[in-house]
Amino acid sequence: MTFRTKLFVVFMLALLLSIGVVAVGVAVVTRRAFEESNRQHSEALVTQFEREFAHHEQEVTNRVQGVADAEATVAMAIALSRPKADVSVYVNDARGVSQSHQLDFLDFIASDGSIISSNEWPARFGYKIDWITQPQDWSGAGSFLMKVDTQEGPALGLMSVSTVRVGDKDLYVLGGERLGKDFLASLVLPEGMRALLYLNLDPNFQPTNLVDEAGTVTEGERLASIVAEEQQNPSKRTFKVAWTPDPASAEAFHALPLLGRQKEVLGVLLVGSSQREEAALERRILLLALGVSAMGLLFGLILSWWGAARVTRPVRKLAEGAREVSEGNWAAHVEVRGRNEVAQLALAFNKMTQQLTEQRERLVQAERVAAWRELARRLAHELKNPLFPLQTTVENLQRAKEQNFDQFEEVFRESTGILLAEIENLKNIVGRFSDFAKMPQPELGPVNLNDVVRGIVKLFEAQFGAVGRPPITPELHLEEGLPTIQADATLLHRSIENLVLNAMDAMPAGGVLMLRTTHENGNVDLEVSDTGTGLTPEETDRLFTPYYTTKQHGTGLGLAIVQSVVSDHGGRIWVESETGVGTSFHIRLPQKPPQRPAAASSPAGESATAESAAGAEV
Amino acid sequence: MLGIVGRADPARRPKYGGTLRVEIGAVVNSPDPAVAAANPEEAAAKERISALLYERRNADGTFAGVAGSGPFRLAEWDPGKHATLAANPEFRGGRAFLDSIEIQMGRAARDRLLDLEVDKADFAEIPPEEARRATERGVRVSTSQPDELLAIAFVAGRPIAEDARAREALSRSIDRAAIVNFILQKEGEAAGGLLPQWSSGTAFLFSTTVDPAGAKSLWSQISGSPKIVLGYDASDSLAQSVAERIVVNARDAGISVTAEGTPAGANAPADCDARIVRLPMAAPHPAMALTHFLAALGPGSGIDATPLADGASPQQIYDRERAIVSGYRVVPIVWLPQVYGLGARVRDWKAPAAGEGWPFADVWIGDAQ
Repeated sequence: MTFRTKLFVVFMLALLLSIGVVAVGVAVVTRRAFEESNRQHSEALVTQFEREFAHHEQEVTNRVQGVADAEATVAMAIALSRPKADVSVYVNDARGVSQSHQLDFLDFIASDGSIISSNEWPARFGYKIDWITQPQDWSGAGSFLMKVDTQEGPALGLMSVSTVRVGDKDLYVLGGERLGKDFLASLVLPEGMRALLYLNLDPNFQPTNLVDEAGTVTEGERLASIVAEEQQNPSKRTFKVAWTPDPASAEAFHALPLLGRQKEVLGVLLVGSSQREEAALERRILLLALGVSAMGLLFGLILSWWGAARVTRPVRKLAEGAREVSEGNWAAHVEVRGRNEVAQLALAFNKMTQQLTEQRERLVQAERVAAWRELARRLAHELKNPLFPLQTTVENLQRAKEQNFDQFEEVFRESTGILLAEIENLKNIVGRFSDFAKMPQPELGPVNLNDVVRGIVKLFEAQFGAVGRPPITPELHLEEGLPTIQADATLLHRSIENLVLNAMDAMPAGGVLMLRTTHENGNVDLEVSDTGTGLTPEETDRLFTPYYTTKQHGTGLGLAIVQSVVSDHGGRIWVESETGVGTSFHIRLPQKPPQRPAAASSPAGESATAESAAGAEV
Repeated sequence: MLGIVGRADPARRPKYGGTLRVEIGAVVNSPDPAVAAANPEEAAAKERISALLYERRNADGTFAGVAGSGPFRLAEWDPGKHATLAANPEFRGGRAFLDSIEIQMGRAARDRLLDLEVDKADFAEIPPEEARRATERGVRVSTSQPDELLAIAFVAGRPIAEDARAREALSRSIDRAAIVNFILQKEGEAAGGLLPQWSSGTAFLFSTTVDPAGAKSLWSQISGSPKIVLGYDASDSLAQSVAERIVVNARDAGISVTAEGTPAGANAPADCDARIVRLPMAAPHPAMALTHFLAALGPGSGIDATPLADGASPQQIYDRERAIVSGYRVVPIVWLPQVYGLGARVRDWKAPAAGEGWPFADVWIGDAQ
């Protein structure tokens, strides 16, 4: 992963974290705000409902009072005040009166508490309601909740009592409205609000006793626990019910206990306000937040990418510069912008490369001087050998002319032979140096490396087992099916021949010469190993330096030539050696050498200098 | 009690002619006596109409002769809706005063009463509980002797119906006087026995007193949580009111009773333990009336339905009646009279005796007053 990518990932993570924190914060704050808003809204609705309920209470009181004030009721009271009054005449009156006054429950009750006529249970005439005759000022009692016995069973009623007094006898009018779905339907409630009523008519929770304006509430048993709590400890409660996994189905409820005259719990009113709008609003806000977050994320992504690119550009350039340096371009220069740490780093880098370049130039200069010195030394050494016989021969020739003139002819003949031989020797020395300086460009053609190796081994077969020297055993490990490569067969032959000669020189006591060919990833490898004396690390480091040799009579140009040939073929050569064990030369050649401009071929001396600086591998 | 309550018709000389407009609540689909009636109300109405069309009856009460041999003959018949009877000039008892009788069927009690009030009808049946109101509204009302027994008949084979304590407890819990006074508006008599006082002379020997304490005591002896389902004809408002009152009385005595209405004419549903039944007297004679009751009740109520012997003595009749009542398989509640509303033009109407038809042959139409 690149530094830019890492930086981008860090930016993005930071951005995501920030957005997440902000989103959570916004969600929490929004939720709290909504909850507070819901609470206020619900309380307002409940207050409105309570007003509506109080209005109904007053309405019931008025209607019952209206019944009591009606002429027929007064006439009934007058008739019943008389001795031996016949109450049976009025047994069916409650039904008609209740209908005309829109009352669900209506009882005309005599002064002794016996029912004269009952709408909700007509057959109950004659039975007594004792509590109504207890001393109480019914005129100011208003409405109250009561469990009413009806023909169909107990019901919950919002009741009121009015009296018509004639003489010392009261006619009680007990009337009211049934609390049930019709009552709930008559309530004017704001949109999104509904009222549920649990009729506490049975000892245990009965789902059928929980009604709304449409009838029995489905899934009413889910409210059983709340009802049970109200039954045990009547008080106002607030709770929320999610009817389905969809948050929009949630409903906030306010539970209000409905108490009777004896403070007994007769019912539980559940005022529910739908959370649909809030949920929808919350969802919209959530979607908006998600949209903004996505946009922010996208923007952040772009910004992070741009920022990472901008921040890492100097670093990347530094890295490119470092890579150039690693590839040998010590003159790499990084553009410096600003004065920050990276700019200072770039300045330091530039300074470093400048110093490196200068040092390399100095080193090259020193190497050149050293090479020239080595060349001079080698030339001096090479030339000194033939010069000394030349000088001696010339001096012998002079002395012979001066002292032994008789033998001069013979001495002259011998001396001129020696002189010619040494001059020939000098010409050979000069010729080898001249050959190295004139290394030809390879002429590429299809070459089977195995064939080249076999040819060389065959060439040296006689020398491996020559009389008078310890035998050398060649071992060939040539891979079958080795692909042909584009190479100059002559140059390759000469290079491998050099390596074989070196190996033979390294094994004066005989040994094993192993040649191995393999191929891998489009490259062909050749290993030439000997079991000779091996090289020291210092020798290994300078092995490919021109004019460097570990042999007494070497020119120091053999391996430099090999390295030059390998390099011209786009390959590389390296050496592994251990003192006393042996040395292995490895050559890796591409099947097809890269196109190189003719000018790219550097002089062997310079190339060798650079390679020797890089170590044993070239 | 027999007579006419309301404005008395002045004695005037009868005259022929005119059409008597009759409204009844029943729906009669066929005047043929051989075709069975769908319900007791249709059967009773069919009996009344047939009595006008046939001259005589057989010993078993079925009509004899041919249709039209009676004081009237069938002139027009629209099944279930309307019928016109024309006077039969060849009737052996002499031609009826009326030229014809137009009978409107299926009229509700309220509509019949209204039609009487506005003089759109001359004759109509009125439920007993409406008699008092009809009188207060100025309608001429004719009331017969109490000749129809309203009773509870337990259904034989039902577990609770087979428990004599449950039957007696329910009987003791019923406040018959309140039913007469409030529901029937004092038109009728509390019934302790199967025969009315005017017929048997022994009705006073049967108690009609409410005894909730005794009922409660008896009911408490029954183990478990017994419950009595009391069925009634859903189209019979009086039976419904009485059933509902019985439920209240029973509840006061701690007896669990549920009233359940059943379609008109249907037999008691399978889950009914008892049912409210109307038992009209087939004849004024106590032995004949009791025999008829036993025949009507016997199959389903588990009582001994053996007919009384011809010429049974009053003591035998009483003993049989006492035996049945003491078994509480039939619990008498009230005796109901037949109540008729009469238009202002109707003259010489006399309420028929038990088992008799409408005496329209003697009725004539006078001027409205």
